[in-house]
Amino acid sequence: MIKIYGSFVSRATRNLWMLEELGLEYEHVSLDWAKQENRSAAYLKINPAGKVPTLEDGDATLSESLGINLYLVQKYGQGGLWPDDDAGRALCVQWSFWAAAELEPLAYGRIREFLFKKEPDRDQALIANMAERTGPLLDLMTLALDEHAYLSGETFTVADLNAACVMEYLDRSDFDLSGWPKVAAWYTNTYGRPANQKIQDQRAPIAADMMKRLQG
Amino acid sequence: MITLLGKAISRSARCLWALEEVGVQYEHKPLDYATGDAKTPEFTAINPGAKIPALIDGDVAMFESLAINLYLAQTYGKGALWPDDAAGQAQCLQWTLFSVTEAEPPGSTRLVQFIFKSKEERSQEVIDAAAERSKAPLNTLETTLQSQSYLAGDSFTVADLNVACSVEYFVRTNFDLSPWPKVKDWIARCMDRPAFQAMTAIKAKEAA
Repeated sequence: MIKIYGSFVSRATRNLWMLEELGLEYEHVSLDWAKQENRSAAYLKINPAGKVPTLEDGDATLSESLGINLYLVQKYGQGGLWPDDDAGRALCVQWSFWAAAELEPLAYGRIREFLFKKEPDRDQALIANMAERTGPLLDLMTLALDEHAYLSGETFTVADLNAACVMEYLDRSDFDLSGWPKVAAWYTNTYGRPANQKIQDQRAPIAADMMKRLQG
Repeated sequence: MITLLGKAISRSARCLWALEEVGVQYEHKPLDYATGDAKTPEFTAINPGAKIPALIDGDVAMFESLAINLYLAQTYGKGALWPDDAAGQAQCLQWTLFSVTEAEPPGSTRLVQFIFKSKEERSQEVIDAAAERSKAPLNTLETTLQSQSYLAGDSFTVADLNVACSVEYFVRTNFDLSPWPKVKDWIARCMDRPAFQAMTAIKAKEAA
């Protein structure tokens, strides 16, 4: 049985979404960061850095949320979320790395300001600078979405899932997407998929608790 | 015919290394983003974002250096750069992402500070912060390399190639890797490879 480690308030949600999309059976092991469950001897054995998420599937054990999604889709999503053609597959890998290399540093930098600081303490100059650097990334997405309905072609694939689960940080920190209507529509459509909704519904009460702790 | 677009002195070097490893024939067009080469209509037709490096291979047109390397490994490196077993393949994906999320940020900070800035422009504070941030990824690599000679097992794969692309930045900026002896030995082995040397020669020729 596939096992995914990491709580609903961690990047494990990205993999839970993928597992739901693929309709796989899995066991979810939620590790509580506050209780240092990610530092237990048993967990450090499978992930020496104590990071979440980690996926176990038979002989395969791996970390890195977007890498886990690429692994799952290549193994279980052939012809669906992992396209049949080389050109589509290349774009799936491209957009996954683009999400990690280009979008995540800015989107995560932004959400950190919103999550871990109270409003008066937020670094407004940093937020403005990051927003300015995010614009060209959204322009690039728009170019792709001018060509086809989804990032790698006419159907929803891992390219969309991996990009949307990073873009989530912009959404949660009220980034104004109205200047990029195609991106905004794509995000709503992608992020609102039933498989993700199922995960977000489970996450909501846990996230609300966490926000209470963080924001007082 | 495979075409790689992007001057060698850029992240294109990573893909030149991978192309040399898989040993396929390719054409290299050393476009320079800074001079606007990458914004010509010919190029933007296949790569609207004008990003380099970019790879064209038949119907395939893509950017993102490490993604290109995964594509090359999966397409042309089966049983070598791309292992046959699911466990090894999983490791290749994991480490390639690790390169982007963990190893490259402090590595490229050093590169910017030491290669692209003058002595006067350098910030010791930024350099120190990057050194601090380097420890966790280097520790992770050291732990793995204590039990195996390469990152995905006992042979060189795209996992090593893609992580070495980031760790190489530490070597180039004379970062002291002696607290991580396994990493030091591993990166030396990676950079000794004939394909890496071939890539270095292409860069040297371009710089001349």
